[in-house]
Amino acid sequence: MEIVKEVKISENGFVFNSKTGDSFNLNPTGLALIKLISEGKELDEIKKEFVSAYEVDDLTFEKDFYEFFTLLKHHQIMVQSDPLEFK
Amino acid sequence: MGKQRIRLAVTGLNNTDSPGPGVPFIRGVKESDIFDVHIIGLVYENLEPGIYMEGLCDRIFQIPYPSSGSDELIERIEYIHQQEKIDVLVPNFDAELFSFMKNEERLRKQGIQTFLPTLTQFQEREKHRLPEYGKKYGIRVPASLNLGSLGQITEMEDKFDYPVMVKGQFYDAIQAGNKEQVKQAFMKISAKWGLPVIVQEFVSGTEVNVVALGDGKGNTVGAVPMRKQYITDKGKAWGGITLADEKMLELTRSVIGQTKWRGGMELELIKTRAGEYYLVEINPRIPAWVYLAVGAGQNIPEALVKLALGMEVKPMQAYKIGKMFVRYSYDMIVDLEKFAAISMNKEI
Repeated sequence: MEIVKEVKISENGFVFNSKTGDSFNLNPTGLALIKLISEGKELDEIKKEFVSAYEVDDLTFEKDFYEFFTLLKHHQIMVQSDPLEFK
Repeated sequence: MGKQRIRLAVTGLNNTDSPGPGVPFIRGVKESDIFDVHIIGLVYENLEPGIYMEGLCDRIFQIPYPSSGSDELIERIEYIHQQEKIDVLVPNFDAELFSFMKNEERLRKQGIQTFLPTLTQFQEREKHRLPEYGKKYGIRVPASLNLGSLGQITEMEDKFDYPVMVKGQFYDAIQAGNKEQVKQAFMKISAKWGLPVIVQEFVSGTEVNVVALGDGKGNTVGAVPMRKQYITDKGKAWGGITLADEKMLELTRSVIGQTKWRGGMELELIKTRAGEYYLVEINPRIPAWVYLAVGAGQNIPEALVKLALGMEVKPMQAYKIGKMFVRYSYDMIVDLEKFAAISMNKEI
């Protein structure tokens, strides 16, 4: 999974997709998550970091992560070549 | 080196809620590094805002609607030319283009240059011919049917599901969700723009547009893709943003390359969720949002004037991505004298 190259993410969480013209505002949690994804971290690594930094259990994190990930795909911010891949 | 002084006549100064491209076109040319422009504004109505905008036009002339007859319009242009010595004339309305294209040679002989599509180019992209156009040039277009009477609605229902888009030959597009709405839209549009009224299959997706300029030899001199961010109830862009969309540019280059399009154009496209592009309209002139292209780095109005004057123009490739325009309305306080002058004398 990777962030589409046309997508620009600013430090304050403003996301602009220059291919579609869409823009979004991320909250601090979303921004932290997307930064980790854009660094190419795997799901397990991201989960580990999040569970230690926030008051969240594994199951809740995974549920929220997949929901967020689906949104990113829906808005063409992220592409996933293999539907089973969460690297 | 000093700037070249030119006298430029422009129509479309109606910066209203359905704006013409005249004012942004003039803004673009005024920013030219090579031209020092004397602007002759040509208006149809005495309340076109461009008449009253300070520092926009040097002279203003009222001209007759093309519906009064081509000869009347061209004779008026010739009269204005006697006074103002027009170098380049840029018409900006679909409805007037035919008269100017037909009289291109007559104007050129008098020293008035234009840079317009040929009659064939103009006619083959007309809305009621779009399916053949798509087939000929290998472009995906929505299916459509030309309605000459209300009796054809049943035929339309056999072909398309609701909703459908009901469109006039030149302007207006109304989405209709049932037979009754199609009837209403047909009556409204046919009364204003005549027949046929075009019914298009509704394509769901994002509306995206390209402003482009063809040199008449198949080269794309400029092209900037944009997505409307704010659309008025008349379907006009009130805000937009430039896109990094190579597919849209490829499609534009393909249309211009195949048709050898001459002049400004706007491609209206629908991008579906599946990433397919449907060409819904080709406007045969510069659109009202052209100043976004200027702001993004492609001075398309200046390039069009250069082409009209027979100057060499290198294709512009780069533009800034993510540049936006936001339109606004603004109340100008004007003196009665200007209004009286244009109303009584038909010129200022």
